[in-house]
Amino acid sequence: MLSFLSLLLFHALIACALDPPAHASPDYHERLLLRPLPQDTLLATFNFRSNETAAAYEQQNFRLFPRSLGQILQHAHTKELHLRFSVGRWDADNWGQRPWYGAREGSNGVELWAWIEADSEAEAFARWLTLVNNLSGLFCASLNFIDATKTIRPVLSFEPEGDHADMSNLHLLHGILPHEVVCTENLTPFLKLLPCKGKAGISSLLDGHKLFDAAFQTMAIDVRPLCDTSGQECVVEMEQTVDMALDIARSKRPRDNPIPHPRPIEDIECDTSKSYNSPDTCYPLDKKTEPAWKLTHVFGKPLRGACPLTATEGPESETLCINTPPERTVQVNTTGQYTEWLSASDTLRCYKLPTGTELDLVLPEQHMTTGLVRGQPHLYAARSINGHGQERGSVQAVIKNPSPTDAVDFTYLESLPWFMKPYLHTLRAHVSTSSEDPLKETYYRPAIDRIRGTHLELRLVIPPASTLILNYDFEKAILRYTEYPPDANRGFDAPPAIIRILGPFQSADRKGLYLRTTPLLLSLPTPDFSMPYNVIILTSTVMALGFGNIFNLLVRRFVGADEVPAARGLKAIIQGQMQGVRARFGRAP
Amino acid sequence: MALLATLLALRKDARILKIPPFLSAFLIIVGVAWLLVLPLNEYSRSTYVSENALLPGQVHTYFTGSEHNVFRAYRHEVAGLVDLPVQQRTDKLSELLRASNLKVATQKYTYTPSGRNISDENVYAILQGPRADATEAIVLMASLKTMDGEHNYSGVALVLALARYFKRWSLWSKDIIFLVSGDSTSGPQAWVDAYHDAHDPSTIESLSIKSGALQGAVGVEYPAGPWGHRYDKLHIVYDGTNGQLPNLDLFNTAVNIASGQMGIGCTLQRMWHHRNSYQERLQTMLRGMLSQGLGHATGPHSAFIPYHVDAITLVTVGDGWHDEMGLGRTVESLFRSLNNLLEHLHQSFFFYLLLEAKRFVSIGTYLPSAMLIAANFSIMAIALWVQSGRPQEPIPNTAATKPAPKSITKDAAKDPDEKGKEQEQEAVEKPLEPPPVVVTKDGATAIIPAALLQVSERPLFLPAAFVVIAHFLGLIPLAAFNHIPVANLHPSFLLAANLTTLLPLATAYLLSRFNRPTPQESTLIHCFSLLFLGMYLSALATLNFSQSLIVGLLTAPLSFVRRSSGSRLAAKLQFALLAAINPVMVVYGATYVGKVELLHVLVKAAEGWHVWGMWTQVVVWLVWWPAWFSGSVVVALGLF
Repeated sequence: MLSFLSLLLFHALIACALDPPAHASPDYHERLLLRPLPQDTLLATFNFRSNETAAAYEQQNFRLFPRSLGQILQHAHTKELHLRFSVGRWDADNWGQRPWYGAREGSNGVELWAWIEADSEAEAFARWLTLVNNLSGLFCASLNFIDATKTIRPVLSFEPEGDHADMSNLHLLHGILPHEVVCTENLTPFLKLLPCKGKAGISSLLDGHKLFDAAFQTMAIDVRPLCDTSGQECVVEMEQTVDMALDIARSKRPRDNPIPHPRPIEDIECDTSKSYNSPDTCYPLDKKTEPAWKLTHVFGKPLRGACPLTATEGPESETLCINTPPERTVQVNTTGQYTEWLSASDTLRCYKLPTGTELDLVLPEQHMTTGLVRGQPHLYAARSINGHGQERGSVQAVIKNPSPTDAVDFTYLESLPWFMKPYLHTLRAHVSTSSEDPLKETYYRPAIDRIRGTHLELRLVIPPASTLILNYDFEKAILRYTEYPPDANRGFDAPPAIIRILGPFQSADRKGLYLRTTPLLLSLPTPDFSMPYNVIILTSTVMALGFGNIFNLLVRRFVGADEVPAARGLKAIIQGQMQGVRARFGRAP
Repeated sequence: MALLATLLALRKDARILKIPPFLSAFLIIVGVAWLLVLPLNEYSRSTYVSENALLPGQVHTYFTGSEHNVFRAYRHEVAGLVDLPVQQRTDKLSELLRASNLKVATQKYTYTPSGRNISDENVYAILQGPRADATEAIVLMASLKTMDGEHNYSGVALVLALARYFKRWSLWSKDIIFLVSGDSTSGPQAWVDAYHDAHDPSTIESLSIKSGALQGAVGVEYPAGPWGHRYDKLHIVYDGTNGQLPNLDLFNTAVNIASGQMGIGCTLQRMWHHRNSYQERLQTMLRGMLSQGLGHATGPHSAFIPYHVDAITLVTVGDGWHDEMGLGRTVESLFRSLNNLLEHLHQSFFFYLLLEAKRFVSIGTYLPSAMLIAANFSIMAIALWVQSGRPQEPIPNTAATKPAPKSITKDAAKDPDEKGKEQEQEAVEKPLEPPPVVVTKDGATAIIPAALLQVSERPLFLPAAFVVIAHFLGLIPLAAFNHIPVANLHPSFLLAANLTTLLPLATAYLLSRFNRPTPQESTLIHCFSLLFLGMYLSALATLNFSQSLIVGLLTAPLSFVRRSSGSRLAAKLQFALLAAINPVMVVYGATYVGKVELLHVLVKAAEGWHVWGMWTQVVVWLVWWPAWFSGSVVVALGLF
C-alpha cells in the first residue's frame, strides 16, 4: 500500500506559484496544473486571469477583459462577481483536499453571488435581477430563474475578495439553482470570454465531451477589483477556473467507441495463487501501478502551443505544470522549443509551451514506490434527508473534523426553498465527544410562502477528532398545481449547504476555505395530474343523476287523485298551471 | 318518480326485511363469480410499459467475455466465505467491493422477535454516478441466504461482478448501491429502515454513508454453487410487505428485458409451468392473492416497497440452458432502463393482480369483488338494525294486495325472522292479534295494526359495550403471540385454539345467568359487529384487496347465523359451523392443508410484526376475531 504524505507546505508553494501578486497593468496569465489522484484519477486545474486597469474598464476600453461581461457588470453596477457551474462530487475520502481549498467551486448546478452597488436594498435587488437576466443570456443558463425566492443575503459565509473603497453601499446577494444541468452549451460561452478562445494555449485542451464526463468538474468566473497597497492604482481582474477530476481509464477511451467493453482476458492480471485459478476463472488483481496516459488521450485534443498573449519569460510563461513525485517519468513530445522548470522539492514540474506547435505529455505505466501527495481536508461533510412520507422530513448533516489537535470554527449556510419549511426549534447540533453546545451563532430569516426562501446561517465549533451531527425537521408545503415542474414526480432539488472554515486554518489569500455538501432531493406530495379530470367527470355524473330526482321531490306537490278537478280542456290546463305557480310561492290555491 | 314513491311505500312492507339475507348471499355469490371471470381475456389486459423513459431492452449489453472469468472467481470467493464468522465474512466482502474502487460501509443489526436472536451484518457499497449529484440512487442486492434458505453463491457473486463492471461505465445518472445482506428479509429491512432513519439505533446500526432518494431496487437470488448451474426460467417475485406491490412498470420492464431481449422465460407465483390456460391463470391469480393477503415479506425486495421504493427480486428456477451471464445481462439492461428514469416510477399501476407474466387485472376491474363481499355485512347490519327497531309482534302486511297470511303468536319471544320462515310454512288462518286500532285524525279514520303504533326503544348500552370489549379483547392474543418466546408458541397456540372456541360458550352462559341480553339486544350485538366488519373490510379492500377478500369470505357465514330460540339443534349446528371458521382453527387448518409447520407460521408472524412491520395480525385479532366472537356469542345464546 502506498503511503500518502501530507505536505501542507507543498500546497502553499503551489498556491504561491499560481497566485502571483496583481499587476497594475493589463496582462493575461494562464496555467494548467495536472495532479494525479489516487484511484487512477487525474485532477486538471485550468486557471486563466486577465486584468484591465480600472480607468480603462470605466471607459469601456476593453482589451483582455471581455467586453460582453464587462458591459453587463457595469450596467448592473456589480463590483464583484462570482459565478460557478458545477457537476459531480469531490471524493474527499480518496482525493483529499479540494482544489483551491474549495474557494473556486460551487454547489451542484449554478451558483452566483455578487456585490452590487446600490443605495437601497430594493435597488440592489432590481440590479441583481438585471444581472441574472443578462448573465442568463450570456452563459446559456437558466440564471433568470434566480428570483426573490432563491435569493438570500448571507451574513457570515462570504467576504469580498477584492479591494472595495466603500463597502457601505455594497450589497451581497446570493442565489443557487441546484437543478440546473450544466453542459457543453455553458462551456462555449465560457471559452469565448478567453482571449485565445480555446484556439491556443491550455484552453485548447478544453473539450465539452471530456469535461462533462469528469467525475467532478466546476467552472468558475470571478471578477474583482484589486488595488495596490496605496489604493491608487486599481485593476479589474477576471479569473476563470476550470477544475476537473478525470477518470483516466474512462477518458482514454476514444470518442467514437466509448463503450467499456470487457477487456480481453489476456490483459487482466489474474491471481494465480488462488486454488481455483484456471483459464476460465480469473480473480483480477489490482495492478498497483500508476496508469499510463498522455494529454492527447485524456483530453481528446492536442495542446496547440502557447497562447501568444501570455508572458514570454519568467515563471508566468510556464503555463503547463504537473505535480507528481519526482520518480514519475514524464516525457515531453513536441517538435517545438520548450523549457522545463523543477520546483525545489521536485514535486512540481512546469513547462513553457512552444508557440504554434503542438505539445504532448506522455506518462508511461509505472510502478511507484512513493505515494501520491494529497492534503487532508479540514472537514468532511455529508448531508441527507431522513424520514419518509409526504408531510414531514428531517435533514441531517454530518460534519467530521479529522484533525487530532485543532478545533475548527466554521459557518454553515442553508438556503432552502420556501416549500421546505424548517422547524427551527428542532434544530439540534450534537458533538460526539463533548456535551458543550457547538452552536455559537444563528442567523435565521424565515421563509414567506411564494415570496422568499429560508436563510439559515449558523456558526459552529467542532472539537478535534469529533463528528458533529446537525439535525432539523421540516414540513413539506402543498403546492398549487401550476407550481409543479413538468417532471413533478422526480422531486424538488434543495440547494447544498455551504460551509466556510473560519479558523484556525487560514487561506493564504483572501479566497477563504469552503466546503459544499451535495444537494437534496425533496419529494413533495404530488397529485396524479389526470385525477382531477376523472373526479370532475365522476362528480358531474353523480350530480346530474342525483340532482334531477331530488329537485323533482322538493318542488313537486303531491295531490290526491280525487282532488284533481275533472275539468278538461285549455281552461283546466291554465288553471292547473296557475295553481302550480301559486303553490310554488307558498300560497294555498 | 312513481318508482321512487313506490319504493318509499315499500319501506313499511314486512317483506322488505326478508330481502337482505338473499341480497347478502347474492352479493357474496356475485363477488366470488366476479373473481372467477377475471382470468378471461375480456376482463384482463395485456401488460404494457407505461413510462416512456424506461425503454426496456433498447440497449446492447456487454457483460460478457472476461467478466465471465471474473464472475467465476468471485463465485469461488463467495463459496469460501459463506461459512466464515460474520466479522471475517464482512471484511472479505468489503475488500472485494473496495477492490472495485467503491465506497464501502457495513451495518450490524439485531432483532429479537419471539425470543429469537436474528443478528447479522450488511455490507454495502456505493457507486457514485460520475455525473450524478447524490440525489437519486438505485439498489442492486443479494442476500447470502435465499428465501428458501439456500446459499446464494452466484447471486452474491453476480452483484460483486456487476459492481466491478458498472464502475467502468460513465453513463450512470444515479448512484448505484450494491447491498449484500446477511439474510433475505431482515437484512434488507434493517438497511432500508436505517436509510430512511426509521430504525432503532440501539439494535440497528445507523448507516455511515448514504446517497439520495431510492428510485428502485432489484434483488438477485441464484443459489448455484461454485461450479455453476444452468437455469430454465426467471421467477419474478414482487409482493411487498402488507400486500403492497411495486409499480407494474418495473415488473413489465423486467419481463420485457428477460423474455424479449435475453430469451429467458419469466414466471411468477411459483407457477413453474404456465401454459396460459384459464385454470393456470386463475391459479396464478389466487396464489398471488394468497401471498398478498398473508402480507408477509417474500424476498429482499419486500422491505423497500413500504417506503415507496419499487422493488422486485429475480430468482432463477429449474434446469435449462441459461447461464449466469444471461442473468447478469438482464440485470445490466434493467439498470440501464432504471437509469433512464427522469421521475419516480408512477405512471403505471400500483394495484393489480397478475395472471401470467404478460397479463394483468387492474384495480378498477377487480375491486368490486371484495367491495361486494364487504357490502354484504353492511347490508345485514342495516337489516338487523331495522329489525331490532320493529316490535316483537309480527305486523300484518299493510301494503299487500291480498290479505296477509295470519301469523302465529305462540312464541312472542321468537326471532321475527325465524318466524317469518315459519309463516311461509304454516299458512294457518287465525284471527289477527292484537286487534287493529282505529285512528282518527283531521277528520280521516284509519284502521292500523296496533303493533305499528308501538314504539320499541333500542337498548344500546349493552350491545355497544359488548362489541367494543370484544374488539379490545383481541389485543390480548395480538400482544401475546407477538411476544411469547419460540418454545412456548406452539402450546400457547393450542391453548388459544381451545380458549377461543370455549370463550363464546362461557360468555353466553354467563350472560344468560343474568337473563341478558334480550333477543333485541343480541340482534343489536350482531348488528354492530357486522357493521364494524363491513366498514373495516371495505376500507381494507382499498389497501390490501386480497386480505379483505379472504377475511370477508371466511367471515361470510356470520351474516347468516341467528340466535335460535326454538330448536337447540339449529343453534348447535350453527355453533359447530362457527367453531370451524374460528380464526385460530382456520390458521391451523391452513397450515395442515398447505403442509406448512404451524410453529414456522407463528414464528414468521412474530418476525413479521417486529421486523417487517406486518399488519396481518392486527386484521386477524382486531377485525376478524372480534367479529367471529360476537357472532359466536349471539349463536351460543341460543343454547342456554
